[in-house]
Amino acid sequence: MAALLLLLPLSTRDGSRWGCSESPAQALAGKAESVDRLKIERVGGLAGFGLPGSHLKSRGDVAVSELSPADRHAVDALFDNKAMPAPGMPDAFRYRITRQTSQGPQTVEVPEEHVPMSLRNRVKDELD
Amino acid sequence: MSCTCFIVPPDVLKRIAEDRTLPDDVRQAAADTARISVEMRKLRTQAGKLTSVATSVRAALPQLAAAPAVTVYDCKHSQTLPGTPVPNPGSAADPTDKRTFKETTGVADFYQKVFNRNSVDGAGMTLMSSVHYGVKYNNAMWNGSQMVYGDGDLAIFIDFTNGNDVIGHELTHGVTQHSLQLGYTGDAGGLNESLSDCFGSMFRQWEANQDVNAADWLIGHDIMGPTAKAKGYTCLRNMANPADKHCLAPQPTKYSQITPGMDPHYSSGPPNLAFCVACKTLGGKSWERIGQVWYRSLTGFGPSPNLKMKKFADRTRTVAAQLYGSTPAVAAAVDKGWKQVGL
Repeated sequence: MAALLLLLPLSTRDGSRWGCSESPAQALAGKAESVDRLKIERVGGLAGFGLPGSHLKSRGDVAVSELSPADRHAVDALFDNKAMPAPGMPDAFRYRITRQTSQGPQTVEVPEEHVPMSLRNRVKDELD
Repeated sequence: MSCTCFIVPPDVLKRIAEDRTLPDDVRQAAADTARISVEMRKLRTQAGKLTSVATSVRAALPQLAAAPAVTVYDCKHSQTLPGTPVPNPGSAADPTDKRTFKETTGVADFYQKVFNRNSVDGAGMTLMSSVHYGVKYNNAMWNGSQMVYGDGDLAIFIDFTNGNDVIGHELTHGVTQHSLQLGYTGDAGGLNESLSDCFGSMFRQWEANQDVNAADWLIGHDIMGPTAKAKGYTCLRNMANPADKHCLAPQPTKYSQITPGMDPHYSSGPPNLAFCVACKTLGGKSWERIGQVWYRSLTGFGPSPNLKMKKFADRTRTVAAQLYGSTPAVAAAVDKGWKQVGL
C-alpha cells in the first residue's frame, strides 16, 4: 500500500486528475524556462506599434541560451545600463525587453539601434 | 573576424572586449567596434552642433545647389545604410527606386514653390533615400541625415514609398531638424510628429491639387496592406478625427489627454486636429494660408528643442495676425483650431 501511495504522484504527473495546472517538477521546469526567455515587444515607428489603443502589435521571445555570448552580454548590459538611452531617431522603433529575475520581471525600453539583430529578428507584427 | 553590425553602448563593448571567456574574434570585433563607435558618436554630436550653428548663420552660408540633388540607395533587404547607389533612379526598372526619386523630387518642389525653401536645410542639401530596408520591414524613418523605407510585410502594409504623405512626413523631420530642432519627447515630440503629418498631408493635397474639403486628411492611406483593409482599417492616423476607429493607431483629440512619457505618434493627435480644423474653417487650399502660418511658425523663430504645444499655438496665432492682418478670418480659423483641442 505504501508503495502504491509513493507511486501515486508519478501516475498523476500530468496533474489533470487533481485539477493542478502543473506538478512541482513541471513548475520548476517552467520557471527555469521562463527565466531563460526574454520577452520582446517592438513599439512606436511611423505606424505607432503598441501605443494605447493601437491595433498594431509586434511581439516575440527568445531563449537566452540561444543567444551568442556577445549578444548575451549586450542584453545584460542593456539591463545594467542605468542611464536611459537617448530617444531614438524620428519614427524609429523602440524595443521593450523583459526578463525574469529573482525579484520579478525586469523591463527595459531601448531604441532599435541598441538591440542585437538576433532579438530584432524574433518579433512578429500582428494586427488585432 | 566576425562583424558586429549594431550600435551598442560603449560600456557593453568594453565589457565584451575584456571578457576572457569569449572567443578572441568576438572580443576583437567588440574592441574594433568600440573604437569606431567613439568616433561615430563624436561625428553625430558634431553634426548636431553644425546643424545648430548653420541654422544661426544661414544667411551667410553658400547654397550647395539651386535645387537639391535626389539620390536613391538600395539596401537589398539588409539593414546596412545607405546600401548601394541606384544609378539614374528616375528611370530605374524597380518601381520603388523610381517612385522614391519622383516623390522625393516632388517634396523638394513643394517646399521650393510653396514655401521658397531650398531642401530640408534651406541650403540645397542632397536628399538621400535608402529603400528595400530590412526584410518585410513595416516602417519608414528619418535618421538625422537621410530617409529610410521598408517594403512592408505585404499583409498589414505594402511598400512604404507608396505613400507620398509618408515621404513628405519623413522629409519634414529633416526640415524640423534644421529649423525648430524639436526634441522627440513630451510636447516637443508630439509637435515634431504633428508637423511631419501636417506637411506630409499638405504635400499629398498639393500633388492632387485638392482643397480642404476634397482632402481625406488620412495619413498612410496608400500604404495599407490587404489584411489591414480587410479588417476595415483605412489609415495610420486621421487628422480630421484622430480618435477614428478606422485608424490603425487612434489618437487623443484633446491636449488634456496628453501625459508625460507618451509616444510622439500618440500625442500628435491634438495639434494634428488643430491644423485640420483651422484649414477647414478657412476653406480653400491648405498650403495657401494656414500652411504658410505653420511654416513660418516652424522656421521663422530659431531653434526651440523643448517647445510646448501652448507656445507653438500662441505663435501660430501671432503669425496669422502678422501675415494676414487684413484678413482676420485666418487668425480666427487658427484660434478655432487650437481652442477645439483645448489650447
